[in-house]
Amino acid sequence: MRRIDTDLLVVGGGPAGLEAARAAAEAGIAVDLVDAGFRPGGQYWMQDPTGAPPLSAQGSKGAAAIAKAQATGVAFHSGAEVFAAFPDRRVLANAADGPIEFTPRAIIVATGAHDRAMPFPGWTLPGVMTPGAGQRLAKLGGTSAGERVVLAGSGPFLMAVAETLVKLGKPPVALIEARPTDSAIIAHLARHPGRWREAARLLAGARAIPERRSGWIVTEAIGSERVTAVRIAPVDRSGRIDRARSETIGGIDALLVGWGFRPMIELTALLRCRHEHDPALGGWHCVTDRASGRTSVEGVYAAGEVTGIAGAVPARLSGRLAGLSAAADLGADTAGDEGERASLAEQLARARAFSDGLGRLYAPPADLVTLARDDTVVCRCEEITRADIAAAFADGTDAVAGAKIWTRAGMGRCQGRICGAAVAAIAAAETGITPREAGFNPPRIPLRPVPLSVVLETTRDGQE
Amino acid sequence: MSTLVTIDLDGRAVEAEAGRPLGALLHRELNAVLRHTAKDGAPRGVFCGMGVCFDCLVRVDGREGVRACVTPIRAGMRVETVRS
Repeated sequence: MRRIDTDLLVVGGGPAGLEAARAAAEAGIAVDLVDAGFRPGGQYWMQDPTGAPPLSAQGSKGAAAIAKAQATGVAFHSGAEVFAAFPDRRVLANAADGPIEFTPRAIIVATGAHDRAMPFPGWTLPGVMTPGAGQRLAKLGGTSAGERVVLAGSGPFLMAVAETLVKLGKPPVALIEARPTDSAIIAHLARHPGRWREAARLLAGARAIPERRSGWIVTEAIGSERVTAVRIAPVDRSGRIDRARSETIGGIDALLVGWGFRPMIELTALLRCRHEHDPALGGWHCVTDRASGRTSVEGVYAAGEVTGIAGAVPARLSGRLAGLSAAADLGADTAGDEGERASLAEQLARARAFSDGLGRLYAPPADLVTLARDDTVVCRCEEITRADIAAAFADGTDAVAGAKIWTRAGMGRCQGRICGAAVAAIAAAETGITPREAGFNPPRIPLRPVPLSVVLETTRDGQE
Repeated sequence: MSTLVTIDLDGRAVEAEAGRPLGALLHRELNAVLRHTAKDGAPRGVFCGMGVCFDCLVRVDGREGVRACVTPIRAGMRVETVRS
């Protein structure tokens, strides 16, 4: 097993991680960056896995950020998944050529986010995916999710996926948005002129879509071995679904549906950092001091989406702030940085105000939890239905972790990352507690399955 | 920069670009159905596409439970679809 003793370990190679790593390395700190992706860049700055040059301005920006971080001497470990971390800050990752043990003096967690999926009848059918999956199939695999794709859910990311599919020559046949682009969103945008160009570009991409429904929601996916049709229904401003006016869109072969993002908190939770719940920030997220990126645990910092969903601009700013303050705490000479840090904190507050507002406007509709029927599988890994989970709450448990023990929901390979928010929503619907009170499943080592040989290698070495 | 290689998919030779995610290739080649579940026998395919959901599991070079979406295509790899 490789052992790497370093000053600072950055986990995650997206905008937050790259900025954090570069800032600390520039201050003279030894930095290692571990990233699960094929190549660094994360989701927002996704790079072509074959090494082909970026095709978009966004990809080029990412390539430049990676090159800058490399030039400052950051050591990159791509394709390596962190599967364990310990209170002494020891971190284990599994790479293609075997495990790596990092023993850093400080850690910056910049693990990003994943799509927020919510269960509905037919959501396990092949061809039904998250919008993020559709984006990755296209950008990493050069493959469209289908020939006739329906794009649905809420949030500005749907527009980015539409843009990608248009570029691939496969514009979605329909865009089903729960939230209309109404006066509240226009008024919010009007207050942030810095974002107008981006908004205009994204809205232009959607023009190639023949059928656009705003204030509608997908209630069911239909098919036997692959999705072939979807049922849709109107959803009003208070989030109520009017099933009496349902319609069917047939002749499709893919449905990309999602409700924004959830922070990837498994590592910060494992390190026992404090977490809070806010629906506008994607639910559970790691609490940080916004001016420094410090978490509640000494020597552990967090930046980007894991600290609450906000997008790429706050990710870069919070990454740089975390990198600078970690470097200062590690004893680097950062005299003269105070001015820059104060300015970054101010920019971050402004950028967060924009995204927090959007997060509130694009909140998932209240009736979303009613889509799953009694026989709908909620926990995809263990194939546990809504009725099974509701029965556990009726029998007396009042927590996501309790439902896991009673029903196995969340006990499978994904550790409840996909169904956790849905189980909390079911808890709220069945018992009247809040999703916050329902809690989340504490992560377990290994965070991602690793071959037994890797576990043996890491434990044997530890005993020498 | 892109290199075409051949992989073995359930005994069939398939040409693919090295380095791209296996999940995208299988989505195309298998009409989106990557496996059937152990309990209900329900069809599953790529869902999250980023290694989080564990729906796109296949056997690669004899190893079980490999997530196709985060596995780069390599020359000569042997991919088998399984019930799991």
